[in-house]
Amino acid sequence: MPIVKLGEEGRWTNYHGTGTCEAATRFALRSGDAERGRDEIAIAAKSVQDWLAQAAAEKRRVRPLGAGWSPSNVNISSQSWLLHTRRFNRCFRMGADDVRPGIDAGALMLVEAGALVDEVSDKFEEQGRSLWTSGAGNGQTFAGASATGTHGSMIARGGIQDHIRALQIVTPAGIRWIEPDAGVMSDAFIAATGSTALRDDNMFAAAQLPVGSLGIVTALVVDSVPKFLVRPIQNLRKVDRAALDWLAAGDFRRFSAAYALDQDPDFVQMIVNPYKPFKRPAMLRFLYREPWRDDYPRATPGQLGAGYDALSLLGRLLNDYPWARGPLLQFAMKQGYASGPDIDAPPVYGSWGEGLDTHRPLADLFNASVTIDRADLARAFERICAVYARHGGSTVVTIRFMERAQGLLAPARFTHNAVIDFDGPRSQRTADAYARVVECLDAEGITFTRHWAKSCRLDAARVAADYGEDFRRWRAARDRLLPDPAHRALFGSEVLDNLGLTC
Amino acid sequence: MMWLGWALAALGFALIFGQYAAGQADIFVSIANPRPLDEESMVVTLKGWGFAAQAAQPFVTPESDHGLCDVRLFATRRQMLVAIATFGFLRPVTVAWRANAGILPLGDA
Repeated sequence: MPIVKLGEEGRWTNYHGTGTCEAATRFALRSGDAERGRDEIAIAAKSVQDWLAQAAAEKRRVRPLGAGWSPSNVNISSQSWLLHTRRFNRCFRMGADDVRPGIDAGALMLVEAGALVDEVSDKFEEQGRSLWTSGAGNGQTFAGASATGTHGSMIARGGIQDHIRALQIVTPAGIRWIEPDAGVMSDAFIAATGSTALRDDNMFAAAQLPVGSLGIVTALVVDSVPKFLVRPIQNLRKVDRAALDWLAAGDFRRFSAAYALDQDPDFVQMIVNPYKPFKRPAMLRFLYREPWRDDYPRATPGQLGAGYDALSLLGRLLNDYPWARGPLLQFAMKQGYASGPDIDAPPVYGSWGEGLDTHRPLADLFNASVTIDRADLARAFERICAVYARHGGSTVVTIRFMERAQGLLAPARFTHNAVIDFDGPRSQRTADAYARVVECLDAEGITFTRHWAKSCRLDAARVAADYGEDFRRWRAARDRLLPDPAHRALFGSEVLDNLGLTC
Repeated sequence: MMWLGWALAALGFALIFGQYAAGQADIFVSIANPRPLDEESMVVTLKGWGFAAQAAQPFVTPESDHGLCDVRLFATRRQMLVAIATFGFLRPVTVAWRANAGILPLGDA
């Protein structure tokens, strides 16, 4: 049996130290050495199903844990059984016979649920392939990042869950292989994984972003594109107010021409100091995609500008010295992010995976976000910065851009999205300032959603209001997959129950 | 001569405060391409200015068959105060590590 118990009941703390499971019993799901991936995941899925039955018999809730990355505490469940999946991390290439006619098997990979985004990226690059987007960090499991709608700032792409073409979910009632109506994998392949095929567009859209509430995801079929190079440009520039109108209109070329290269960017990100956002220089990051070539000069992740996701230092100073927040944040922006390469520096290149980093939190993290319609950016952004600064928010504010993401519960649900992140050191004052931002957007009538993995203070009523019909469809899919309320409760936790996802 | 006394006292305080602050620095060593599992930690107390060391628990980690991924070495505020108060005779430090999940070769589905 590939599940082993890790010690006795105790405490477990998540990756960013934002939550603790008390009196939790830890188990680990491990990869085996089966020759074929389908055999391996069949064995694992059966073990997980038996484990779920044992947990139910012991009247304990369960929680699958990947990297334990989410600061929103969707990974926290006390007095429960925790299933660590990080050692269940093999990846497998597909054969032409494994897929349905018309599907390009060479673009797909079978991925066990514990594989990190970094591992998936590396394995694709071995095959001349690449992910087309991902979050700022690559230390989450691919399944976990997808389950919460993680995203980056590739302006023509959605979330990381858009890569998923099929997935295996284990519940006490069965082992299901979920795909869209059109199907992806051959019937023989699905049968060999020990799963029952469930081809349904609605179910698939629910399972692409399950927020850990639909069962235990054991395997994914992940799509890719041919490998490509990116050239990063990263600089500190004072940004003109008018530039927000260009961004709101999607004129990224004009923004790039003004602050970096006069060509179409594929990735645009702006990190600003909310204290005088247009008077102090903002940290700008652009990526320009180029065709792959083997002879590019290799650069380190730091030279490629990796690690741009959060400032995790200076928290106490920012909290204790409110009069100095503006200059301190500006200092932190200069020190905390990789500098350059600017437009006049020798160009550096890297693959998509080489430009990501597994950051290591050394201080308590606060992160939250709002996703708005990109068209609202100009009228929303200054208000957000003003409210956040006035109430003592002590993080930088980051703007990222993406298209509508797949999955019924994808926060990026507008056709074009601007995602505004508040990432930095944790303090109660910052959390309160973020709450004032939420109130301000509501008062202004600006529609927005919030990230499942971040500290966004959602509740069931708000989730239902934000996602409307899509939430009803998601719950209908959940009830079809988990018709027994006792099975839904098995995957519940205080946080997930409060979000209306498991009860 | 009074000023000299104050100057020496200030210098002594600055030396101690510097040690107190620097001792809490986080020394972090990682392998390339890390695949980390959960962090575990223990406290090691150096006694007699380093002549002897005693860990609160033996160095065991349940899933270390692929080696360690990274190691951190740091002292908490309380540990630094203990070190200063005992003139360095006791020097507790925290060692934190994460085991490596391992990098497995690409297989066939």
